[in-house]
Amino acid sequence: MGLSDLMSMAKPNIEARDKILARIGGKELVNCFQCIKCTSGCTALKLLELKPHEIIKLVNLGFVDELPSSDIIWTCVTCLKCVQRCPQKASPYHVIIALRNLAVEKEAKVPEGYLKAVSQILETGQVDTYQKIVTRKMETVDRECLKLPKICPPKESFQVVFMKAMEEKTT
Amino acid sequence: MTRIGVYVCHCGLNIAGVVDVEKVAEYAKTLPDIVVSEHYTYMCSEPGQRMIQEGIRNKKLDRIVIATCSPRMHEETFRRAVAEAGLNPYLTEIVNLREQVSWAHTHEPEKATEKAKALVRMGVARSRLLEPLEKRRVSVEKSVLVVGGGIAGIQASLDLANAGFPVYLVEKAPSIGGRMAQLDKTFPTLDCSACILTPKMVDVAKHPNITMLTNAEVTDVKGFVGNYEATILKKPRFVDEKRCVGCELCAQVCPVKVPDRFNENLTQKRAISIYSTHAVPNIAIINPGYCLRLKYNKGVCGKCQEACEAKAINFEQQPETVQVKVGGVVLAVGSEVFNALQMTELGYGRFKNVISNIEFERISDASGPTGGKILSPKNGKTPKTVVFIQCVGSRDKRFHEYCCRVGCMVTLKQAILAREKIHENVKIYVCYIDMRAFGKGYDEFYRRARDMDIDFVAGLPSEIHESPDGSLYFDVYDTGTNKLLQIRTDLVVLGTGLVPNEDLADISALLHASRSADGFLLEAHPKLKPLESAVAGVFLAGACQGPKDIPDTVAQASGAAAKALDLLSHGEIELEPLKAIVDEDLCSGCKICTSICPFLAIEMKTDIIEGKERARAEVIEAVCQGCGLCSSACPTGAIKIQQYNNKQVMTQVEAALAETCAEGGK
Repeated sequence: MGLSDLMSMAKPNIEARDKILARIGGKELVNCFQCIKCTSGCTALKLLELKPHEIIKLVNLGFVDELPSSDIIWTCVTCLKCVQRCPQKASPYHVIIALRNLAVEKEAKVPEGYLKAVSQILETGQVDTYQKIVTRKMETVDRECLKLPKICPPKESFQVVFMKAMEEKTT
Repeated sequence: MTRIGVYVCHCGLNIAGVVDVEKVAEYAKTLPDIVVSEHYTYMCSEPGQRMIQEGIRNKKLDRIVIATCSPRMHEETFRRAVAEAGLNPYLTEIVNLREQVSWAHTHEPEKATEKAKALVRMGVARSRLLEPLEKRRVSVEKSVLVVGGGIAGIQASLDLANAGFPVYLVEKAPSIGGRMAQLDKTFPTLDCSACILTPKMVDVAKHPNITMLTNAEVTDVKGFVGNYEATILKKPRFVDEKRCVGCELCAQVCPVKVPDRFNENLTQKRAISIYSTHAVPNIAIINPGYCLRLKYNKGVCGKCQEACEAKAINFEQQPETVQVKVGGVVLAVGSEVFNALQMTELGYGRFKNVISNIEFERISDASGPTGGKILSPKNGKTPKTVVFIQCVGSRDKRFHEYCCRVGCMVTLKQAILAREKIHENVKIYVCYIDMRAFGKGYDEFYRRARDMDIDFVAGLPSEIHESPDGSLYFDVYDTGTNKLLQIRTDLVVLGTGLVPNEDLADISALLHASRSADGFLLEAHPKLKPLESAVAGVFLAGACQGPKDIPDTVAQASGAAAKALDLLSHGEIELEPLKAIVDEDLCSGCKICTSICPFLAIEMKTDIIEGKERARAEVIEAVCQGCGLCSSACPTGAIKIQQYNNKQVMTQVEAALAETCAEGGK
């Protein structure tokens, strides 16, 4: 009975789908009629073959078991073009973020970059590391020689608050 | 003693699926004065009606309570059945168990049944106090006002006029013809739009039964079904309609250029000019916003006045108001085309080579800015690639959620026109979501387009870019091939949809005609009364009721005309007897009711009683619609609505509270 994917013999997992839908606040965000605008404009498609319309359709049909462990959910660069332009006010972005959180929960493989970013924030309070830059006169400068104030590492309480916020977000 | 019959309807499973109708009917039996209490699958069906009639004949019932759908749906049906059995039809009380119970509380069947019982109890209590009433008859003015002179208004006017009734056709623009006059060809037959429309426009102008009022607007409508009184404002043309021969000598000397609205502002014309090449009436008009003489002072310019051999130009012309009495109104004000400026990602307005489909229509038209040659607006050259993008502004929750119903077919037609007119190896692409070719001959038209080597890309682009040389490019993912494609083109045509006319706000306020959620005018019933508004005597035709193509518009216009004929042909109509009555002893003459009545149905009359002047309200029976505003506003309780007086309503409230009190105020 019902739907099955003849390529992998997978069956829809409605329970898991509803879990994802609950995270993003109901079915409205996957209410998609496949106009393909999201994929046509996707920044990550040209580099990494992310097809937001396929992800939305897979979630819609309930083929969600493979998604949290797959690489493609991590390629979204969160430019939010799809959210802004979707004629159905659906949102591949929110679905992808929900899938990522699910992946972390399931302890699936998370790309190194993301884990690095988290530890970076915990250590320095910044998303990125400081780099020296080269000016138009080809001089290499850093904050110190520009006489900019030193940036202090965050207070300890920040790490507690940050971890707490992370936990709240994922549950 | 009253003998009450209660009839509970299942409405198939609409009511019975939620409400326990048997329990409700059993419960009704416990109420005082109930002689009969029955339930049946479809109370409105012939056997259902017969049940009620047999109750009246055999059990001598004198009050009927029917627990069924909304009174808007079948109150008339049941009243007729009751009257046939010999009982006054106004002794019927409808209790709404469908819209207000089963449909509203689908997931709570037990509570719904309790609510149904309470409503039946209230209905029974009220029914005892109902009074027999007689219908009023009023005469009908045998003429019709048609608002809007597009193809819908033209068709309705001609049908009504041919049937022998006078028609007043009011058009806002200087010429009739509307949107259809702007089109080049029509789908799916590729008839030339002007060739099939202009003869009709001329027929309207020549018809002895039609009074055509162009450059005019309806500013006020008073009265009620059969007896409307409309005020029409005829704005000045500054040209004598009787003298002007349409030679356009004036336009040749006029020094002021203005954007040409008929050509979607793609070209310019003079401040004095004729609206379009096939305008009816073919009379010049001065645009007072641009004309130097009208804008500044009497001394300047006046060149047109010198050039006009017919001495038709009159700078002193004033607005004129025309009062007409009509029996019915046909609203045919049409729609507008979505303004693609709102959809910034497609670059309309920023990139000259991105145009809307109505602009393409003008470019393709022989009387348009390019004389019918399809050229890119930016460089005036024949495009090598033409791309059509579908669903712009429609099927889009950011703008309009509905399908525009014509966009797909318009694009197919324009793609075919582009193929026929340019030909030399032009590449044509259509980016679409779904191709909706649903009408008679429409899918065959779609095949014809595919046969003509027009390529269909299943997917919409996210954004359009312009390269320095003025050509456009965009990425689009095609779900047919699962490939990301890039298309470079020198002309993009946006499939802009139809949106509600801006004037609809004023018009719906004037005639109390409501609008649906999408902004178009609301029909009385989506399936069974698509030609009428909820206001009696006001009919709907064409795209003002919802987006429509020409065949559907013409069909609806003829239908609305037939409905108007139905109203006019009898010469008189029956009106509901539910009206306001004034208790003269209680009336203090405060005039609150006259100020609040939306139908102007209350007048003040002055009597001299014991040497003192005394003002009292008086209801004009034929005009009163029984809306009840006066009754609720009256500070002394002097105005009452029949069948809804204080006692009748309060009894119902008491019945509603009765059970709760008995249960200890739960």
